[in-house]
Amino acid sequence: MLGSVPTTPRSLEDYRPIIGDEPAEEILRLAAELKGARVLHVNATAFGGGVAEILGTLVPLMNDVGLQADWQVIKGADEFFHVTKAMHNSLQGMYYDWTPAMLETWLHYNHVNADLFDEEYDFVVIHDPQPAGILTFLEERAARSGKWIWRCHIDLTDAQVQLWDFLRPHVQRYDGAVFTLPAFVKDDLAGPAIFAVPPAIDPLSPKNVHLPTETVNAILERYGVDPQRPMVAQISRFDPWKDPLGVIDVYRAAKRDVPDLQLVLVASMASDDPEGLDWHERTVRRAGEDYDIRILSNLNGVGNIEVNAFQSAARVVIQKSVREGFGLVVSEALWKGRPVVAGNVGGIPLQIINGETGFLVNTTEECVEKLMFLLRRPAEADRMGAAGVEFVRRNFLTTRYLRDYLKIFCQLSGRETAAAPPPAQVQPSRS
Amino acid sequence: MYGTLAIARRALDDLADFTGTEAIEELRALARPIEGLRVLNLSVTGFGTGTAELLNSSVPLFTDLGLDCHWQVVRASEDATAVTRAMYQALAGVHERWAREMTETWLRYAEMNAGLLTERFDVIIVHDPQPAAMRSFVTDRDLNDTKWVLHSHLDLSTAQEDVWLLLRGHIEQYDAAIFEAPSFARPDISPRTHIVRPAIDPTSPRNMPLPDDVIRTVLERYGIDPEKPLLCQVSPCDVASDLPGAVEVWDRVRERAPGAQLVIILTTDPQDPPTRACYDDLARRANGDPALWVLSMGNELGNVELNVFQRAADVVMQKGLRKGYGLWVSDALWKERPCVVAPHPGLQEQVVDGETGFVAESTPAFADAVVRLLEDPQTAARLGANGRRHVAERFLITRYLRDYLRILHELSRGR
Repeated sequence: MLGSVPTTPRSLEDYRPIIGDEPAEEILRLAAELKGARVLHVNATAFGGGVAEILGTLVPLMNDVGLQADWQVIKGADEFFHVTKAMHNSLQGMYYDWTPAMLETWLHYNHVNADLFDEEYDFVVIHDPQPAGILTFLEERAARSGKWIWRCHIDLTDAQVQLWDFLRPHVQRYDGAVFTLPAFVKDDLAGPAIFAVPPAIDPLSPKNVHLPTETVNAILERYGVDPQRPMVAQISRFDPWKDPLGVIDVYRAAKRDVPDLQLVLVASMASDDPEGLDWHERTVRRAGEDYDIRILSNLNGVGNIEVNAFQSAARVVIQKSVREGFGLVVSEALWKGRPVVAGNVGGIPLQIINGETGFLVNTTEECVEKLMFLLRRPAEADRMGAAGVEFVRRNFLTTRYLRDYLKIFCQLSGRETAAAPPPAQVQPSRS
Repeated sequence: MYGTLAIARRALDDLADFTGTEAIEELRALARPIEGLRVLNLSVTGFGTGTAELLNSSVPLFTDLGLDCHWQVVRASEDATAVTRAMYQALAGVHERWAREMTETWLRYAEMNAGLLTERFDVIIVHDPQPAAMRSFVTDRDLNDTKWVLHSHLDLSTAQEDVWLLLRGHIEQYDAAIFEAPSFARPDISPRTHIVRPAIDPTSPRNMPLPDDVIRTVLERYGIDPEKPLLCQVSPCDVASDLPGAVEVWDRVRERAPGAQLVIILTTDPQDPPTRACYDDLARRANGDPALWVLSMGNELGNVELNVFQRAADVVMQKGLRKGYGLWVSDALWKERPCVVAPHPGLQEQVVDGETGFVAESTPAFADAVVRLLEDPQTAARLGANGRRHVAERFLITRYLRDYLRILHELSRGR
């Protein structure tokens, strides 16, 4: 038995008024096929990060619709987590000198965790590479049961070859492999059935619930933003791929035309991340003495509700990424009814219908042009924002995520129904 | 030139609702004789620390009071930051092996930062001792008239000896030193020592009034039952905060107050290696209990959510504290929440036993005090109301400004 993570109960019925009857019924139909199925999610941390956030909603929802879902966290000492952190970075393209000792550490802790694995499940979903080797050791002692799914939240496109070659034999044993986007899959991954499931936002989380206008305005004021004047915002880490300096340039260009424009940049930073702090400083310097630019971060205590308020109050939300994983923050902003001008990279084109819910841009000039267009036409901006809400409602809410998992479970266990085509393909990107 | 920080403009008058106009008028009268005084605040970081929070609140208010007040962040690189962190730990009393190369790096950056000081100021306030040595490298004649103040937000009473001795010679060059409490100060320095207690900002997102439906919505989303008793502890994820003790208190309370819930809000990121062990220990004791929430401000929990949880709490606890004040307790008292705290000097300045809350040491006594507050709403309300009054008198930002204006006054005499 690994460490079980407590989750707050959730009810599909709470989502029904938001998603509508038909999607809710579809979920219940799929869930009926899987009634009582025992599901285990395994990841490395109960705390922090997108995976933990997703599981905190997905696991209780699975229970609510009649499955028996559990979420457990693998055990490991610091040495293991140092290696898995390196593994994570290396799979994203950073170069590491992989020593046999490091790989041995990973194998050792996966072996230990496999030995702790003593229950039977119908479906086991292993998240990310940290616990991916558990299946290998279970098979070694002929203790495998149920369908195994490797859920990789990382874009493997630039994975360091040496590490991927090491990891691949471990993940080839799985029945299914789920990626965020088809483009994130490695060509040489053979064996598991491959699915693409884009992430989703929880409309009931404090980050996304509707806030009263007075509260939004009060929060803005406390952080030095004037609610009476137009504001644009970007919420993202401070690193070269999110181009915070470019955002400031875009704002400056727009400010010539809209002199009372304000810019809010909210970063999420780790206190032990020197690169993030360095980019924060560069951003502050670029902002200089223009106090209409507010640079905030989680380290100033800006959290879910504050981000919600800034997104809700922005005339336009910018996500000027030049490289992106999925960029779920775009859906978060669209859900607040605001149009988004965003870089045409990663998962962003899946979230923005160009010209309908916002704009996809490739250059700073284009970004300025589209931002100006929306600032000059508030009615058009509102209309696009409203279209964005509908688009997210249909495609990027956590209930769709639940549905995709149920479909995968159905398919892998031969319960395929006419109503459940496997989500092997996601829609191709629009441009 | 250092890193200048963009700070929100603020009007002192916005505080009048909380402090009364008299207090505001008093501040304006105190500020008048030193109008236009050029003050530079230098700190190690621009956010994420209590020091930064205080500067963020106070600097724009000094500006509104007519001072020419600035806040800049000293320059550092990765190696300098590592040394600064080690020095912080050593000064806070956690033993650090201090190598000669560290002294060299420290002095090199002090010298570099001294060289970056190109503007004239009447008063330069160096916040926290880590950048203090730069004073020794300032040779510019134009800066001879500048008064230098060291404001230590750290308790230096148990500082590691070798690091303190290294620092002390530099602090001797200062005109004044400010500590947060008499017990945090050093007797072995000659600059005139002042005491300025820290303070909370009633208009900050952490303390601003919130509509009931926002509170309800947030509690609902976290699955907290507003009908059942809620306990809350805010603290860093470290051994001294006695988080397992807080869980144990809650376990005892539950025997007598069925359904009692506990929210623990960590102010430090549990992913940091030093806090991870502490977090794991806490998670083990929590043992999958659905009435216990462990949330972290290192991730996505922000000031407004902290505000919500404090407002919703029936009792706010502080089972332990390593150093300093644990000023979240004042945040809670300001919200009229009755508090139970460990007997710790910083906490006891805020919680006066039997007046603004209870002080308890052993786990059973702590649990008894919590139960008493849950069972006796009248006492809870009385202590809560007293708590707010106590904070209004001693721990509001206006009092901090007043203390500071008096010191600036004294320093600028004969200017």
